[in-house]
Amino acid sequence: MNRKLKSRQVVFVGGGLMAALAARQLVKDGVDVLVLERGRDHDAGPEHRLPSQRDELRWGVRNQLAQDWSIETYTLRHARTETALPVRTLEAFLPGDGVGGAGNHWNGQCFRWAEYDPQLRTRLVDRYGAAKLPREMPIQDWGVTYHELEPYHETFEKLFGVAGKAGNLRGQIQEGGNPFEAPRREEYPQPPIEITEAGVIVTEGARKLGYKPFPMAASNSPHVYVNPDGMRLGACQYCGHCERFICESNAKGSPEVLLYPVLKRSKNFEIRPYSHVLRLDYDRAAKRVTGVRYLDLETGDEIEQPADVVVLSAFTFTNTKLLLLGRIGEPYDAATRRGVVGRNFCHQTNSSINVFYKDRWINPFMASGSSQTIVDEFNGDNFDHSGLGFVGGAYIFNNTTNGRPISTRPLPPGTPQWGTKWKQASADWYTHAFSLGTIGSCYPHVENYLSLDPTYRDAYGVPLLRITFDWRDNETKMSEYVTKKAVELATATGATIVGPAVPRKAPYDARVYQTTHVVGGTPMGADPHTSVVSPHLQHWDVENLFVVGGSVYGHNAGYNPTGLMAAIGLRLGDDLSRYAKRPQRL
Amino acid sequence: MGSRRAFIAGAAGAAALLPIHGTSTAAAAAAPADGTAAAPGAFGYTYLGPQEATFVEALVNVMCPADALTPNGTDCGLAIYIDRQLAGDFGKGGRLYQHGPWHPGKPQHGYQLPLKPAEFFSAGIVAARAVAQARFGKSFEQLAPADADAFLADIAAGKATESRVSLADWFSQLVYPLFQQACFADPVYGGNRDKVFWKLVGYPGLPAFHAQNMVQFRGKPFPGAQTPKSIVDFS
Repeated sequence: MNRKLKSRQVVFVGGGLMAALAARQLVKDGVDVLVLERGRDHDAGPEHRLPSQRDELRWGVRNQLAQDWSIETYTLRHARTETALPVRTLEAFLPGDGVGGAGNHWNGQCFRWAEYDPQLRTRLVDRYGAAKLPREMPIQDWGVTYHELEPYHETFEKLFGVAGKAGNLRGQIQEGGNPFEAPRREEYPQPPIEITEAGVIVTEGARKLGYKPFPMAASNSPHVYVNPDGMRLGACQYCGHCERFICESNAKGSPEVLLYPVLKRSKNFEIRPYSHVLRLDYDRAAKRVTGVRYLDLETGDEIEQPADVVVLSAFTFTNTKLLLLGRIGEPYDAATRRGVVGRNFCHQTNSSINVFYKDRWINPFMASGSSQTIVDEFNGDNFDHSGLGFVGGAYIFNNTTNGRPISTRPLPPGTPQWGTKWKQASADWYTHAFSLGTIGSCYPHVENYLSLDPTYRDAYGVPLLRITFDWRDNETKMSEYVTKKAVELATATGATIVGPAVPRKAPYDARVYQTTHVVGGTPMGADPHTSVVSPHLQHWDVENLFVVGGSVYGHNAGYNPTGLMAAIGLRLGDDLSRYAKRPQRL
Repeated sequence: MGSRRAFIAGAAGAAALLPIHGTSTAAAAAAPADGTAAAPGAFGYTYLGPQEATFVEALVNVMCPADALTPNGTDCGLAIYIDRQLAGDFGKGGRLYQHGPWHPGKPQHGYQLPLKPAEFFSAGIVAARAVAQARFGKSFEQLAPADADAFLADIAAGKATESRVSLADWFSQLVYPLFQQACFADPVYGGNRDKVFWKLVGYPGLPAFHAQNMVQFRGKPFPGAQTPKSIVDFS
């Protein structure tokens, strides 16, 4: 049955971190907000309670907090000359499902990006000349500066109780922090979380090489913390069940813990779980969206929800998909390099090396999602790329978030896959090893993009989104370079065994978890020919349509995206509040 | 334990008693002094048929032989774990996108078969048994442990290509992941019986409140790793 509901002022598609942050600003200003979320409310479920929360198989291996691929997946091809096939069970990245979205099962790793990142093109051209950037790499400025976002970073870090050590206070480099950090006005709201033994080892090795290691900024609360909205975080238990899990101690900054409970108390806020948005209603003549159509999963009804303003606040792919389905904006065409919707799709270029220490007790099971020690010397444009043949970089770190033994059990090279020797090696090394990782940039390439699949459909009959992506030369060269630096670091730590170094190489592999940091498709920018939304995230063609989330990134850096995204989301809330009072092009 | 083993062996047929089967003295030696190794756990198969169960028991006993470290795979509950997974949501492809058209794809696309995982698992057993029969003149379950181990190594390395079913894919996509899960997942799922693999590596399990331990035992052995607790202990 089809039903039409009464109109609402601002309707968000996707009830994750972005909707919650923007709605926080709107609701304060008295704006009426409705959030539509396809999944369930996770509060009080088995994912949030002991003992069922501590179940590696259910949440960590079967990924039951992530998108259900039987309902909707993506098709993948490595080049546009190929036919894409559906990834039937996807491991490469894990979009969330349910209230809070991927903000439930993230690790809490909370970076501000480099000061130059939103002006990356300008930065690289100024430093190396335009010839450094091949025509195939449409690196572009985002139309916003770090300094415009800085107050929002500060607000977010206070809301989420972020724990860290400042490396750059108002331009003064601070001992113990990241010397490459964008300048901050204030210290982090909380001191860093506890360092792991692996972090001690990385610190020792990094200092030998003259690097400045520092603790990752964490939205895992070291202590009980009350935020400016009066919401409380518990103290992190270093339980090793963070990424892919919901925190049962409420110690991980998450929208369901810190934001939605406040919003739900407000009369002008509503969130509807189990509401799967199918498409936007677009009045082409008036160049306005008039509302959204969604399937009410609890009744099977198709609902027409009219709205004054629509905000796409879903995961990267869904934002792009809804624009393509609605034929809103010109789809990107890789052959002509014209069009915008779907362009600048980027993943993140990571690598890892297993390192083994006969006489050190790593105790990998004692860790938070962010208990990691970072070396940032070879990230982004923190180092001189003259003569290197690539741009970008990665941070190097001990990737110690857990010791969940199905998945986190590094074994020395040459260990058989089963049998007595396999068991013996597991026993010998489980608590004496960890993975040294690199998290690296992925810059856009004209042949990496998103479009609608012509063949495959989801459970509701809607076309799947098609990913055309592969690792390009710039990224593989970068990964090779930074992975070598990681080997040098591993060697400097005095590891008993340094496992094989495996820089990222083509072809792109959907079977291997990389990160959930997939970005682009609806980039923001000052030029409508290369961006989908304006610097204020307003659609260039449709004034009452806004887009927010990873999809608005023009490139991916070697930093985790959530900190920056949160600042962008809060700023959008203020912009929407202005727009609600006086609709206009911002 | 003896009567349960006899029951399963009987149900599976006489072949089950041949070389790869049976509890060795080494396994008995590995049993903890507190006698908890005989904790019954679930037994009896809900998905696998008798011949399939015999095969899976033989398989897990090759991959996890009884030795000074653990009892054999069957006695660790590994076959039960695999059976339960195949019977449940995983075996049915509950979270798998199962719409055509179907094409083989590249390895990087992952699983592309129209078969549900449990069906593929069973088809792989049929194929592996047939290849073993052709190569050795006897069934997989009857092979001497060293021969069975070498045969599995061939399968894993993509060197057993006689069958239409891709045994290399069967092994890498189903057998090996299920084997590792059977060893290291919470015992509530039927494998890792008596937390034997958690004790082996020193994983303390639940409740994992390590805020104090994190400081007190940084860089030191953690005593709790000797006595892990599972979901079962908190249920």
